Amino acid sequence: MNSPSLAGRRRYDVIVVGAGMAGSLVAKRLGDQGWRVLVLEAGTGTLDTWPGHLDALNTFASAVAKVPNSPYRPNAVAPSPDVLHVGGLPGGGYRASGYLVQRGALPYNSDYLRAAGGTGLHWLGLTPRMHPDDFAVRSRYGYGRDWPIGYDDLEPHYRAAERELGVAGDAAEQADAIGLPFPEGYVYPMREIPRSYLDNVLAARLDGHAVQEKPGSPHTTLRVVTTPHARNSTPHEDYDGGRGYRPVGAAGLPNYGERCVGNASCTPICPAQAKYTPLKTQAAWSRDVTLVTRAVVSRVLTTSNGRARGVEYQEYDDPAAPASVTRTAEADVVVLAAHAIENAKLLLVSRLATRSDQVGRNLMDHPVLLTWGLMNHPVGPFRGPGSTSGLEGFRTGAGRRTRAPFRIVIANWGWSWPTGSPGADVARLLGMGGDPAAPRGRGLFGAALRDELGRGVSRQFALQFEMEQEAESRNRVTIDPLHRDLLGNPRPVVTYDLSDRVKRGMAAAKAVSDQIFGLLEAEDHTAYGPGPFAPGHFRYEGRDFVYQGAGHGAGTHVMGASRETSVVDPWQRCWDHPGLYAVGCGSMPSVGTANPSLTMAALALRSSERIHRELSELRRPLTVRTAPVPEGRP
Amino acid sequence: MIPELDRTALEDESVEVPPPVAGFIDISERLTGFTAFDLYATGMAQLYHDTTVDQVGREAVGRFIDDLAAAGGDPDRLVDETSREIARAVTHLWYLGVWPALARSVHRALGREKANTAFTAAPEAYPEGLVWRTFHGHPPGAKAPGFGTWADPPPGAPPLARPDCPAHGTGGAT
Repeated sequence: MNSPSLAGRRRYDVIVVGAGMAGSLVAKRLGDQGWRVLVLEAGTGTLDTWPGHLDALNTFASAVAKVPNSPYRPNAVAPSPDVLHVGGLPGGGYRASGYLVQRGALPYNSDYLRAAGGTGLHWLGLTPRMHPDDFAVRSRYGYGRDWPIGYDDLEPHYRAAERELGVAGDAAEQADAIGLPFPEGYVYPMREIPRSYLDNVLAARLDGHAVQEKPGSPHTTLRVVTTPHARNSTPHEDYDGGRGYRPVGAAGLPNYGERCVGNASCTPICPAQAKYTPLKTQAAWSRDVTLVTRAVVSRVLTTSNGRARGVEYQEYDDPAAPASVTRTAEADVVVLAAHAIENAKLLLVSRLATRSDQVGRNLMDHPVLLTWGLMNHPVGPFRGPGSTSGLEGFRTGAGRRTRAPFRIVIANWGWSWPTGSPGADVARLLGMGGDPAAPRGRGLFGAALRDELGRGVSRQFALQFEMEQEAESRNRVTIDPLHRDLLGNPRPVVTYDLSDRVKRGMAAAKAVSDQIFGLLEAEDHTAYGPGPFAPGHFRYEGRDFVYQGAGHGAGTHVMGASRETSVVDPWQRCWDHPGLYAVGCGSMPSVGTANPSLTMAALALRSSERIHRELSELRRPLTVRTAPVPEGRP
Repeated sequence: MIPELDRTALEDESVEVPPPVAGFIDISERLTGFTAFDLYATGMAQLYHDTTVDQVGREAVGRFIDDLAAAGGDPDRLVDETSREIARAVTHLWYLGVWPALARSVHRALGREKANTAFTAAPEAYPEGLVWRTFHGHPPGAKAPGFGTWADPPPGAPPLARPDCPAHGTGGAT
């Protein structure tokens, strides 16, 4: 492992660019089949040891703003975008600093992480499947793009991904409440994560009640539904035909982390590692997989006829110093698995897959509308996983013809996302705002402060409306020679906006939220306006809204049925380049409303099968037949 | 082995051995509403005392102590804006483990020669923040309560009679 001089000399069967979730799964599958796999990771690999993990926990504890990237050390040579790089302006609008260059009307307000493990280190761990309708939004609902494959094509791979990630869930409930098809008798590897007390309060007050998006529109019946998680729960004894399931614990510490203990910090870091991260898959890689970290792939190399033949990469020692050595590595298959935005950047830099003019386009996320309030009694925020249930009734249906559909996540982290609770509550009650130039209030002290915080924070809850964003060619990643990072590689230039369809979805979501708050008899504290903490502020039909990014970047090397209109084929192979795959959420033509990691994992496993076949065909022993000797010749 | 001198001191009830930073704890009780026992139990008293002195200087701390005494020990009656800002900052430190950015005017008045930015006093300070204890919560990423505990009602909340909802301990087997 990590022997670059050796890596530089050897020829591999497969090079995987990026040691995140998709890349780690592809490397696992192909390594298990005996293929020699080189994984090149731009970031560092300090988190796969227990001391490295403890260091990340300390960095997290020390961070004043506990954002998704806060446990992970900044890397000047392989920089990551951070949500703290985007800020709002007092009168509306935003400014962006840091790695991503932003040129859109609205900010792409999401991050990712360049390190071994990737963004899968700080994901929330929710693993709902996409709805069958999500694969055919153009033909069924008249917007966006259709997938060239459907739910049925992906279903066995969903099951494979649920095994690899170790998913806890209730398949019968998913089928009944959402209409997701499962094979007869299927159970998840582990039983569902127990619902939070807050979920149960919401279920008691909401289940069976109907709401309307606006007067005259159809009624939608509310039901609180447990969310599948890649988080260790109780193994299901019926799994795998009664063979059961053994939870995978922490990487680097045996017999630890085999059960979620409720740290309430799934994002940005699970101290127990009860949540799946790609480090668990990496720990199970065969010896045929070689990981080289601190290796920034700068270009994909092709032969004269366009076939992938390897990559050029820059290897560095010190993440703070722009000194690197350029190397090349060769293989029969190159798999780009470096995140939607990085994959697009690499294709653009390498001037590959240009035929359809779709590389970098169709950038999507799940823009999130938050609403928040106080219940009339304590509900136990900041206990357990960040979310254990949701309301799934708005994920598809007739309303989808006119506005974006959405999934409602019941957030168990108080107002931490919308307002920065409880730190912001302490500061507010002390009379201190975020701006040191602003005049201070008098402030509360002593028992009055303690009581007020207890009364307030204990009753906090929030809803997250995760909107589907459709593929639009104007939302895109480009490169510009004027904007480069320390190693001289182009930085991604992002142009991003929300369509009216998404904005209409948010207006509908707010109307639904108002009715839910009414049924809950909750005090609504939701307030949207411009300001330093609201870069996602916009006005729509005379009303203010603020959206957040979900970190679900997708669409940038879009999959399709035709080489004229898409970048990759249904196997995530670049149409224009045999042997070159681009895997990850970048391939998704639509994102539905489900958190995308499970679907990305399923797609990666499906592509692994195709790569295995491709390599097997390339390596098939050549049978030399002697030509029959014609009669009468010597 | 305890030296002879100390043993005498321990046995002589007339000799009081003051706990460390007793004066700071006394003030902090008034600022936070938590008892000295709670404050010492965080293990942060010395660090917070030193952080405060380091951030605003001995002179300003001395004036703050005098002002608080003149206010009858009630921080709410502090009039001087610098002393009141120090009261806010020390309370913020106890509640969150974070020394805050001071009001710009106070930063200037104190002539501080350091960056006026918020910072966490130590990694250990974050989970010891008092704020979590105000609502019976636990700091995310530290002091995990255990599998399924999140299904239980928190203090002050009514139990829910929902037989179809698994409580913790059942392993979700209902």
